[in-house]
Amino acid sequence: MDPKLTEVSQLFERLKAAITRKDYDTCTQQLSQLKVMLTGFRSLPPLFEETPNSVHELTLARDIFEHAVLLSVKIEDQDAFERDFFQLKPYYTDARNRLPESPNEYIILGLNLLRLLVQNRIAEFHTELELLTSTALENPCIKHAVELEQSFMEGAYNRVLSAKQNVPNETYGYFMDLLAKTVRDEISGCSEKAYDYLSVDDARHMLLFTSDQELLEYSKEEHPEWEIKNGSVFFQKAKDSAPCKEIPSLQLINQTLSYARELERIV
Amino acid sequence: MAATMVSSAGGLLAMLNETHPLLKLHALSNLNSCVDQFWPEISTSVPIIESLYEDEEFDQHQRQLAALLVSKVFYYLGELNDSLSYALGASSLFDVSEDSDYVHTLLAKAIDEYASIKSKAAESNDEAANVDPRLEAIVERMLDKCIMDGKYQQAMGIAIECRRLDKLEEAITRSDNIQGTLSYCINVSHSFVNRREYRSEVLRLLVKVYQKLPSPDYLSICQCLMFLDEPEGVVSILEKLLRSENKDDALLAFQVAFDLVENEHQAFLLNVRDHLPVPKSQPSEAVQPVSSGPASAQNESSTAAEDVQMADGTSASVTTVPEADPSEVMYAERLTKIRGILSGETSIQLTLQFLYSHNKSDLLILKTIKQSVEMRNSVCHSATIYSNAIMHAGTTVDTFLRENLDWLSRATNWAKFSATAGLGVIHRGHLQQGRSLMAPYLPQGGAGGGGSPYSEGGALYALGLIHANHGEGIKQFLRDSLRSTNVEVIQHGACLGLGLAALGTADEDIYDDIKNVLYTDSAVAGEAAGISMGLLMVGTASEKASEMLTYAHETQHEKIIRGLALGIALTVYGREEEADTLIEQMTRDQDPILRYGGMYALALAYSGTANNKAIRQLLHFAVSDVSDDVRRTAVLALGFVLYSEPEQTPRIVSLLSESYNPHVRYGAALAVGISCAGTGLSEAISLLEPLTSDVVDFVRQGALIAMAMVMVQINEANDSRVGTFRRQLEKIILDKHEDTMSKMGAILASGILDAGGRNVTIKLLSKTKHDKITAVVGLAVFSQFWYWYPLIYFVSLAFSPTALIGLNYDLKVPRFEFLSHAKPSLFEYPKPTTVPTTTSAVKLPTAVLSTSAKAKARANKKEADQKEKAIAEKTDTSTAGKGKSSSEKDGDSMQVDTPQEKKAEPEPSFEILVNPARVVPAQEKFIKILEDSRYVPVKSAPSGFVLLRDLRPTEPEVLSLTDAPSSTQSPASGTTTGQQGSASAMAVDEEPQPPAPFEYST
Repeated sequence: MDPKLTEVSQLFERLKAAITRKDYDTCTQQLSQLKVMLTGFRSLPPLFEETPNSVHELTLARDIFEHAVLLSVKIEDQDAFERDFFQLKPYYTDARNRLPESPNEYIILGLNLLRLLVQNRIAEFHTELELLTSTALENPCIKHAVELEQSFMEGAYNRVLSAKQNVPNETYGYFMDLLAKTVRDEISGCSEKAYDYLSVDDARHMLLFTSDQELLEYSKEEHPEWEIKNGSVFFQKAKDSAPCKEIPSLQLINQTLSYARELERIV
Repeated sequence: MAATMVSSAGGLLAMLNETHPLLKLHALSNLNSCVDQFWPEISTSVPIIESLYEDEEFDQHQRQLAALLVSKVFYYLGELNDSLSYALGASSLFDVSEDSDYVHTLLAKAIDEYASIKSKAAESNDEAANVDPRLEAIVERMLDKCIMDGKYQQAMGIAIECRRLDKLEEAITRSDNIQGTLSYCINVSHSFVNRREYRSEVLRLLVKVYQKLPSPDYLSICQCLMFLDEPEGVVSILEKLLRSENKDDALLAFQVAFDLVENEHQAFLLNVRDHLPVPKSQPSEAVQPVSSGPASAQNESSTAAEDVQMADGTSASVTTVPEADPSEVMYAERLTKIRGILSGETSIQLTLQFLYSHNKSDLLILKTIKQSVEMRNSVCHSATIYSNAIMHAGTTVDTFLRENLDWLSRATNWAKFSATAGLGVIHRGHLQQGRSLMAPYLPQGGAGGGGSPYSEGGALYALGLIHANHGEGIKQFLRDSLRSTNVEVIQHGACLGLGLAALGTADEDIYDDIKNVLYTDSAVAGEAAGISMGLLMVGTASEKASEMLTYAHETQHEKIIRGLALGIALTVYGREEEADTLIEQMTRDQDPILRYGGMYALALAYSGTANNKAIRQLLHFAVSDVSDDVRRTAVLALGFVLYSEPEQTPRIVSLLSESYNPHVRYGAALAVGISCAGTGLSEAISLLEPLTSDVVDFVRQGALIAMAMVMVQINEANDSRVGTFRRQLEKIILDKHEDTMSKMGAILASGILDAGGRNVTIKLLSKTKHDKITAVVGLAVFSQFWYWYPLIYFVSLAFSPTALIGLNYDLKVPRFEFLSHAKPSLFEYPKPTTVPTTTSAVKLPTAVLSTSAKAKARANKKEADQKEKAIAEKTDTSTAGKGKSSSEKDGDSMQVDTPQEKKAEPEPSFEILVNPARVVPAQEKFIKILEDSRYVPVKSAPSGFVLLRDLRPTEPEVLSLTDAPSSTQSPASGTTTGQQGSASAMAVDEEPQPPAPFEYST
């Protein structure tokens, strides 16, 4: 076997060991080393050159990126997740016909959907969804994310929060936590628009906090513009509604006049 | 296994965010290779890539890679400016030799950018233009690459555009065909370099390059020098050539001189002539016979001394040792010749001979006009006189006038003025005898003074027309006449005459004389004075213009204002941007007449440049000015600006030609007429056709005249609409109910259509694409006939003979044959109008026919000969030439009818022409010189004056045109009254005393 490939597989083994050891610093370091080494393989995307070991190399690279994605969840790094996921994606899409299916594929796709939901990137969420096959949609991991999105859109936030209990994979936990926060942001966004002010009780209830203290902290951290006084939360400061667009009347008048003038001059 | 397709660049984009620099590099280089496909995806990540580019810690190569990538993405997004600035950042990674749309587009953009920066810097005279050095580097790389690849024309174009004269020089000197590239470059600099000063710079460089060549192309150098107005350079070249031992060099010098003359830059030519050094020790004896050489042999002996001579041929003669150095003798002899050429006399003389001997004008047309025109209608009456003058312009044939003295005498007052002036047009260029011809009508200094002031004024005007642009000899006389009179009609004529004779000389004394006339504040004289001042100062952009403008504001007479307005416009002729201030001043004036002058100023300052700014301004005035006169002129002026690109004009004015305003339509018609004159352009004819049947009479007039200008020298075989048009003209003239205006237009149109005995065309550009200043000025003043009919005669200035005249070392016209590789019928003269039953009419045309049919008969015979002989055998044609031609001459009178008989034969596909021959512009591309001919032209030119090198100098030469043609040339016509002019044209001895043909009953 190609010595380079052997080297990569050895390093990958060490990485896997480090993950189980939960030695995340070593992990990231090794991972970055692996990635650099992978750039040396010409069979990998975006070149996809046909080499004798290409299938092997592709599989190995896919495994590495899958681990990278999962690792990023573990170290709770969303940016790294996104980066690694995108690098992994070509192995699922473009190299689909050449590789045996990966057991982790749906888990990771589901995670990605969840991530988009958490980041409230609904448009991208649906784009990703469209790209999936119907069989993939049947998969519990995917289904879970889809259902969450539906509840989220409907405003059935309680269902979103309760879904935390039946996650298809333990890695989902991290995102479910985050989702709760997203839900909260959503609610607060709506409240800002809908109300001038709310009583602290109602606000707490609405934002699904258990205590006033939590509400106070939340408002201090996320919405410093909120004012809490007299037992009510005032949103109006945030209501600096954009001034409605002014009609460029002077310009229009000028234009019309010049048209009229031109008309008079018709040759 | 199917090749795996990449479906997204997402992975690579994600990789950009990795921390490891190697990964980023990997991503960048991969993205760079797939950007053509995935640019929409990449475009969202542009900020990231940009930040990579700006990252100082990054490796230089990576930053450049990032820049290149961004540049490509911006290119796909259509943001060329951003794309360019990043491409500059990519410096060496941006590969100019790459063959992709991206590179092509960006290069074009870069060059545009660079050129615009450079030219803006040049315009604002900002020496330290802050050009991005990287931009400069790219352009230079491109230039170097072009030069390396041998694409010299591209390189030159870019270099000129970018004002990189150093690169231009490099491109020229490194090219494999320097002569070719140089001439290309001259062409380019005339057609694409808009700014005058810059063009001068380019030309100066070209001259420099030319001079470095081992065998310089003196013809081109001198053309450049003329444009640069550097007579000294031309003088030194000419002197060198003239002093050469080699006869060919002298021939070349003559050719140079002829080419210079063709551009009609009088002041420059005079300068050159006067700067030519006199022979070191001029042997007076040796000079005498030569100075009276070819041209002036007769006139020296008999004509009055006031007539034009070769002015300084003898003036410098000092009594010195008779036995002079032979080389000096030779030089002196050549010098005399070249002075003759430079003064324009030689070419005028030859042209005159050509026009006379080839005159094919159809007197029957005039007769028809004369008969159909109502006696009382003075407009049509004088229109007929104008028409006659134009038809015979330069031919010296005044048969029609002589035969119709009674009819002519109906002209009174101003009509008499123009009738007399018409003689000037007919005898145009008849420098030697001009004065004596006009003598009967000229003001007799104090004595008697029997003539009417109208004919006297007309005669002075006529003298001006005869000597137009070559007025050395006549200036003084005209000045004296001007000073000695205070009759305004005579002043009028004298002013016009003086202006014409001293065209563009900027002579201060004459100017002062004319100014005095102007300050008398007489309307008639003042108008002429205004125009005359302009003519005098043509193209000088002198301070005098503001003086004239001030007076135009002071005077009450509209006529004077109009004259001055045109005069001011003339002063800025060809000055382009320099004239902008004056134009601005005029076009903003309260007085519509001055605005009208402003239009002319625009027209003349930008004449033939097709300058976009000028066109825009003119179009603006054409639709927005309140005065009809200004609008009309604005449209008309477009014709002047666009005459170098006649194809453009019909397109630009087509909308205006459908305007509701008849003045605008009129202007559109004339604009097309002016810019497409003599081209026979199909679009132009299509545009004018509907206008010839417009509802408004003066539009019809303009359209008819314009149509005639377009169709001059085009025959029916070329465009069938010519025949239709001729019939239409006839119909209008014969129609009793037709408006006077359009009738006049039709009469004039008939004249223009057959101008100069059907041997001239209207040409505003010389063969080297220079403006012909006289022609342009002539047409500009001509277009004023709207206000003042006598100005119609100015059109004759725009006529240039369509002839190939070959000359030998003695500046004589040897017998020399060449080939026109096209069907003869395509370019032949229009058939003479068929004669109605009147007997007297039959006689006249045959008389003309006999002379003119000669050429045709000869050609026909030649053809027959040619068909018999194989081409290879042609060697002996020239030797046999003499005998043959003499035999033909005997046959000439008999063969009058042969052309008609021969019609039955199938038409040959070529035609042998004999020097000097009529070669119409469209025919030029078919002209070929026979390979085994005795003479070889010094330069290959299809028309104009060409010096011929004699390959067999020992053999006797046969001359086609001789100085005394009356016996050899027109044996049949000697007896007919119709050819009296012939004698007068050539030999003074035989000149019938110009009788007093017009005994006016004043």
